[in-house]
Order: sequence, then structure tokens, then C-alpha cells
Amino acid sequence: MTAALQYVEEPMPSIGSSLTHRPARGRRGLACWMVLPNGMAPDAIPLVAVHGVQRGAEDKAVLLQDRAEQLGRPVIAPLFDKETWPHYQQIVRSGRADLALLTLMEELRIEGVWQSRQFDLFGHSGGAQFAHRFAMLYPHLVRRLTVGAAGWYTFPDQAEFPLGLARRPDHPQDDWGPRMAAGLDRFLSLPIRVYVGALDNQPDDNTRRGELIDEQQGIDRMTRAARWTRAVRQAAEARDLEPNVVLRVLPNCAHDFRDCVANGDLAGFILPMEEEIERPAVVSGVKMRATPVGRA
Amino acid sequence: MIPYRSQITTALNDAKWAFSTRRVRRDDVVGLTDTLEDAVSGDLVLGRVETIGSHKRLQLTSGRVSELYPDDLVVVACGDRYAADQFEGIARLKAKGADLLASGGVLGHLRKRNGRMQSPTQVVPLGLLTDAEGKTVNLSSYAMAPAGGATHPTVIAMVGASMNSGKTTAAASLANGLRRAGHHVAVLKITGTAAFGDVNAYEDAGAHYVADFVDAGMVSTYRQPIEQIEAGFNLMLGHAGQQRCDVAVVEFADGILQAETAALLRSRTVRKRIAAFVLAVPDALAATGGSTRLQTMGIRPLALTGLISVSPLSSAEAEAETGLQILTRDSLRDPAKASALLATAAAADALSKAAA
Repeated sequence: MTAALQYVEEPMPSIGSSLTHRPARGRRGLACWMVLPNGMAPDAIPLVAVHGVQRGAEDKAVLLQDRAEQLGRPVIAPLFDKETWPHYQQIVRSGRADLALLTLMEELRIEGVWQSRQFDLFGHSGGAQFAHRFAMLYPHLVRRLTVGAAGWYTFPDQAEFPLGLARRPDHPQDDWGPRMAAGLDRFLSLPIRVYVGALDNQPDDNTRRGELIDEQQGIDRMTRAARWTRAVRQAAEARDLEPNVVLRVLPNCAHDFRDCVANGDLAGFILPMEEEIERPAVVSGVKMRATPVGRA
Repeated sequence: MIPYRSQITTALNDAKWAFSTRRVRRDDVVGLTDTLEDAVSGDLVLGRVETIGSHKRLQLTSGRVSELYPDDLVVVACGDRYAADQFEGIARLKAKGADLLASGGVLGHLRKRNGRMQSPTQVVPLGLLTDAEGKTVNLSSYAMAPAGGATHPTVIAMVGASMNSGKTTAAASLANGLRRAGHHVAVLKITGTAAFGDVNAYEDAGAHYVADFVDAGMVSTYRQPIEQIEAGFNLMLGHAGQQRCDVAVVEFADGILQAETAALLRSRTVRKRIAAFVLAVPDALAATGGSTRLQTMGIRPLALTGLISVSPLSSAEAEAETGLQILTRDSLRDPAKASALLATAAAADALSKAAA
């Protein structure tokens, strides 16, 4: 942890962890905020927390700090800045946000922030869009996925990408849908937790609209979260996999992340106790029974 | 046996030890025997360079090449060589001179030569190296010990239409993409002739574990018993598993018509460990013929790659004819693409095992 601690810019009053800002490295590198609990185990599995289109990476780290400290787990909140990453949530547009996160995580591994083979991935709003698409591309890297109040989703169905996983006939060279489809068994076997505020049930200026998307997903985040959760469950069952997807509707919460954390008891949902986390039911294409485990 | 240990030691210290001898403990070597007619594949030979021919440089154990000069002393391995673009030769030594069949340090008797090749570099064998018990030192004594794998890597095999069809570039590129995607990657070369080019390419690509048949005790797999090559393959996979690799990219040398490669592609021992195949080809006709030939072995490759992928026109022809996607070097290096390829391979493997 020595290397990581040199980035400390804002020591927190808590004696149990530090809030750290790591500047970006390289022209398209990502800066990040990190919560680094004191004395955390070398194999502690980090949570990568991805912000929405309003950014606010620091908020993600700050609001999860107490819980991370309690569990002794690092939180890494990358910042996709607006200028470089205007469409980061779609991953494959404008510069490959997936590669930027992979590079950041590799650098943090070198610096000793994490050593495990997998991390937990969480995103709120636009960050949830990023998170579920990243997990579809790299399900082997994700131990547990939390998808919060996404504006819209890529469904595990045969709609054309990015609404679904089918190749787009008008873009024959674009194979992002098939790439995500290739690892679908593993993705569908991940422990996936979805949340949305109960009051987040009206479309707003940031809600993507259109005939196709409205028909597939509904018009508001609540409906879309419910339909995507159901679609993931049905896709898993159709493949004879044990679905492990849960939707939680947060009472009295709208869309704001702070609001959801304060009123929705969200920190424990995003960062549960180790014994509450289930192992994915598919590893390298071989189906397994899902069983609760500790650290991988 | 020549009894002058001190002179031998001096000579061995002065000699250029070829890459093929990289696993040998030099302290084990204490003498020479002149029974050259008894030499077999893998025996270590002390030789003197007589004339410089096709191979003007020798690959050293250090991983660099050394310019060869007349009268250089070299330690190489007696062995066979199969290389359609270069030489075909066998593990046979004669006192009057032998042929340097490969720059990785393979000495034998030339039988066939590609018309574009010069005559091989000539080396006079001074004797076979012996150990303290007077036994000839052979690479087989330095094979890796068996290893129990902590994991069973998913295996993607890289086969080709021919030598120089782009297999190594494709294997290294795929290894790079998989590593960047967070996989622990082994790259193994199951057949071929000792050389550091491929090993270096795999290591440069970032593979976590690299091994070839030399690590299994063979200087070359040409004319070796199939069971021995199978055992070497399983040995390397065991070590890859012990290194906690979750994926192994396995390159087969030469083309799928080459005798050992063809036999291994039909081997149940080998096939049951391979999840999927990728075929490297130089052009569209090779793509068609190669994929058809593989089908006769019950293999449908996941994709085509290799030299063809730099030509959009050839790629389009091959894709139309075979229905297989063409993967460029850059696409294999893309973490998302490499990950998708691995996931497809794992799924195909699971289906195939379920059907069996």
C-alpha cells in the first residue's frame, strides 16, 4: 500500500481509512478517487464505483467510505471526464472507456492497491450503463455487479446492439453485440443486484427516448430496471442457468445518489458482508451450483 | 572417453551454448565421447564451426544471437528438423562433418533443402558430452518435473496452413489481448524445432507462462513418437495450471499436413484438452483447403487469422467461402475481442463435453 498512499491529498478524520485522489496518467488515462482502509488485507477485493453523467466520482467514494472501512475493502471510483469521455457509459463509443478502466486497474494493481483476480463493479445512472456493459464484455473480471438506476440498458436478447446483442445489419463490422453475447453464460451467472428509487418513475431530460427503446424497456428508469431484471432472469433460465439477479426498489428515493444512500440504506446493498456474496454459477463455460463463499 | 577434464572444461567455457541447451546444468558435463554414430535426438554435441553457410548466427541460451565465425566452438543438440521453407534433416552425426539445421542449435544430417536456401553451416562434431557416469547428456534428462495444475486452463489451439502463415504473430497477439483483459495466460508451443523467436514473441506479448517442447525434453518434435509429444503437451499444461493460468494458447508448428501435427490433431489425448481451434492462413485458397482439411478431422475452427488478415480482398474471399470470421492482429490484441473469443471457445468446449 505504500505506493498508493503517496497520492493522499485529503486525509479524513476517520482513523480507519484514507480518501485518496490519484491523478490521471497519460493522455487518455483516468483519474480516480480511492478509499483505502488502513491495514486492509492484501487480497481484499475492491469495489469499482462508476459515476453517472453528472460525474461526481469523489461523491461515490465519500459516500461508501464508512462501509468500505468497516469491511476493510478498497473503493476505486474512476473519473471519466466530460471532455475526453463524453459517451463513456456506452463503453464502445468515442475512445473505448473499457480499455481505459482496464489500464487504470492494471496500474493500481502494480501500485499494490489490489491483488485479487476480480473486483466488484457498481455504477449509478450513467455509471450503471457502463457497469453492466463492461460486465457483459468482461464477466470473468467481475465478482458481483450492482446496477443502480440506469437510464437504459443493453438487454440480453436479440434486439440490435446497443439495445440488445444482435449485430447491426447497417454496421456489419460492428460486432459489439456478438462480443457481449459470447460471454453471456458467465454474465448471466453473476450475482447481479439492481436498484432504483421508487420515485424515479418519470422520464426526465436525461432519459433516452425513442420508439424502439420505449417499446423494449418502457419510458422511465423504474420500468426499465424491472424489465431488464426480468430479461436477465429469463435469459438465464432459458440457458439452464441459475439466475442470481435481484431488484430492489428504494422507498422514498428519487434518482440522486446521495438521496438513495441516505434514504435507501444503499451502502450495505452495494457492499454486503462477504458471506452474503454468492459465487458465480458458471466458470469457464462449466456450470456449477451457486454457493456462498468468502473471498475468492 | 577423453580423460582430460580440465581441457574439456575450458573448451566448454569458451563454447557458444545454443538456445536448445538452455535447460542443461553445465556442471553436469564432465567429458566427451566420440561415439558419434550412437547419437540420438537430444544428445549434446561439442562442435567446431568449419564453414559458414545458411545459418550465420547462433541463438544463445542468453536469448541473444551470436555471429558465427569459422573455428567457433559450439554446444548444440543433435536433432531432426522439418521446415518446408528451410531444411529437412535427421538426427545423425558423422565425424567428418554435420549440418547446422536450425539457428536455435540443432545439428544433424541434411536430407532436403528449400531451393532458396544456401547450404547449411558445417560443424565438425568433436564429441558427445557426457556426465559423471559417462552417459551422454541428453535434453530429456532436463525436462520439467510433472506438475499438478491448480487450475485447468481453457486451451485455444493455433494451427496453420503452412510454415510462416502467421501463427506465432496471431498466438502472441491473442495472448496480449487476453492478458490485457485480465486473464492469466500461458502460451505453449507443442511442436517444432528449438528456437527462441517464438518464445521471445510470447514473452514480449505478456504471457504469464511460456513453455515449449524443449521444456519437455525435446530439441525437436519431428520424427518423435506421438506419445512422447502428447506427454510433453500434458506436462506443459500441468505447469500452466500450476501457474494458475486460466487460458493456454497452444501453437502447433508448420502446417496441418505435417506428419506430427496431423497425428496430434487426430489424437484423442490432445483433442480432449483443446476447447477450440484458430486457423492461420496466408491466402483465401489456403483458408478453404485448410478448413476443409480440418473438417475431415472433425474440427471447425472458430476463426481464420494470419497473413490473410492484412488483405481485405483475400479476407472477403475466405469469409465468403468458409463462413469463418477473419481476425486481424489488432483485433486479437483487443481485450474485448480476445475475451469474446475465449468465451466462445469455452462455451463450445462445454457443449462438446456435454454431448460426449
